[in-house]
Amino acid sequence: MTAKRIAFLQELLAFIGLKDRLHLEWISSAEAQKFVQVMSDFTEKIRNLGPSPLGPSYKDQMIPIHKTGVENAKKSQKVA
Amino acid sequence: MQKRVRKWLEEEVVDVFVAYIEQKGHILPHVFSPDSLEECALLHPGLQRYPLEEIALELAEEDPELRIGILARECTKRSLNVLSTWNQLDQGQLIPMEVSCCPSLLQEHARCSYLNPDQPGELKTLYGLDPNACTQEVEALEQEELYSHWTYEFSKCIKCYGCRDICPLCFCRECSLEHTDLVHTGEMLTEVPIFHLVRAVHMAGRCIDCGLCEEACPVNIPLRLLYRKVNEIIVKTFDYYTGTDMETAPLNILGQEIACQANPL
Amino acid sequence: MDYKLVPSVCSYCGTGCGLLYRVVNGKITGTWPMKSHPVNQGKLCIKGWNMHQFINSDIRLKFPLIKLNGHFKRATWDKAIGYAAKKFQEVVQRYGPESIGVLVSAKVSNEENYLAQKLARAALGTNNVDHCARL
Repeated sequence: MTAKRIAFLQELLAFIGLKDRLHLEWISSAEAQKFVQVMSDFTEKIRNLGPSPLGPSYKDQMIPIHKTGVENAKKSQKVA
Repeated sequence: MQKRVRKWLEEEVVDVFVAYIEQKGHILPHVFSPDSLEECALLHPGLQRYPLEEIALELAEEDPELRIGILARECTKRSLNVLSTWNQLDQGQLIPMEVSCCPSLLQEHARCSYLNPDQPGELKTLYGLDPNACTQEVEALEQEELYSHWTYEFSKCIKCYGCRDICPLCFCRECSLEHTDLVHTGEMLTEVPIFHLVRAVHMAGRCIDCGLCEEACPVNIPLRLLYRKVNEIIVKTFDYYTGTDMETAPLNILGQEIACQANPL
Repeated sequence: MDYKLVPSVCSYCGTGCGLLYRVVNGKITGTWPMKSHPVNQGKLCIKGWNMHQFINSDIRLKFPLIKLNGHFKRATWDKAIGYAAKKFQEVVQRYGPESIGVLVSAKVSNEENYLAQKLARAALGTNNVDHCARL
């Protein structure tokens, strides 16, 4: 059930533009080696993807897009 | 249609009938009863759509024995199916009178508020997403571009909760979108578009693509596109067609029996 | 079982969006926008969507109240108005007329707004009149 939900959520995030940032793995406390492996791989993958746009810089990105949108709207007198 | 409704009320096929009436130039939803049969002359399907299922649900709650007739467009039929799947109403109590108005072989556009969908303006095509696009076109864009388009759309949200209030399938008494830990109140340009993502996840297995949410959105966010994608994922993962399949929705865990097995070490 | 949908106008701001009240057995239980209304065309803001809540709220004022010893006590209209007038006069005498500000709102009618600014300018003698929309 959880696996299906996570698969569903991964596809939804890919549609929004945040692909490959969610991963699900079942690891028991006795499988230490597997835990290390999974964590290192995932960290490497995320590092290659770059910082998430939903981090602390979210508002800094948001406001320019919004501002340009508002300015353009005023110039062309059209509604977005 | 007016004659049929009148006949139904006279012959006591139904106790009340939920449809639209013309009042001072406006088409408004109305509950016709056998006490005032002359009102049936003013019955008018009209182009505007309201969530009639919500009226039927309120009537059914007050009086479980009432036989309710309802003017059922294709979207209404689908939402009644989904509501009965989620145990919100008893299909035996509702007697739908079917109206066919969705696009078909004989007509290209629907005969309702989607008669001729609006074309998006210049600014929207530049920064946002075309609400009439199909999901394959949207998925073909690059991740970064897609992200900035969606961010533009979600940043316009004024959190009026109109999409949730008008949705015929949002029946939860305690809505998780009102939970202060999830959705912060009083913050515009929220950090994460959590409102819309939570709503999209909850619409899985429920949304029947009636489009009332997009019509109620004051800032024209392409909600139908998002929920259509969500339901495509449901079809792909669970092979469940919302609105036509009558089994329990796949993401509905209420009522499921979980077997616990003892596993001694 | 009486179910009615009553068309009306939102009373919050000056825009005046069209509303439909869902009335069950004479009690307002919900609000929908009016899709064919020229002003809002089926869209509402969050205040409009919740118009039904304040109508039946149990914290609405039902009669005039005067605060005595930290508690609100019920009073008649004459007593309440007289008390307010007396207090206003005390403030004007002590601090001057410019110390009073009057704030009007879009929730009351234009005629009432006119009366409020007339009260401020002519009766109280202050020019400090403003509107909630300017905030």
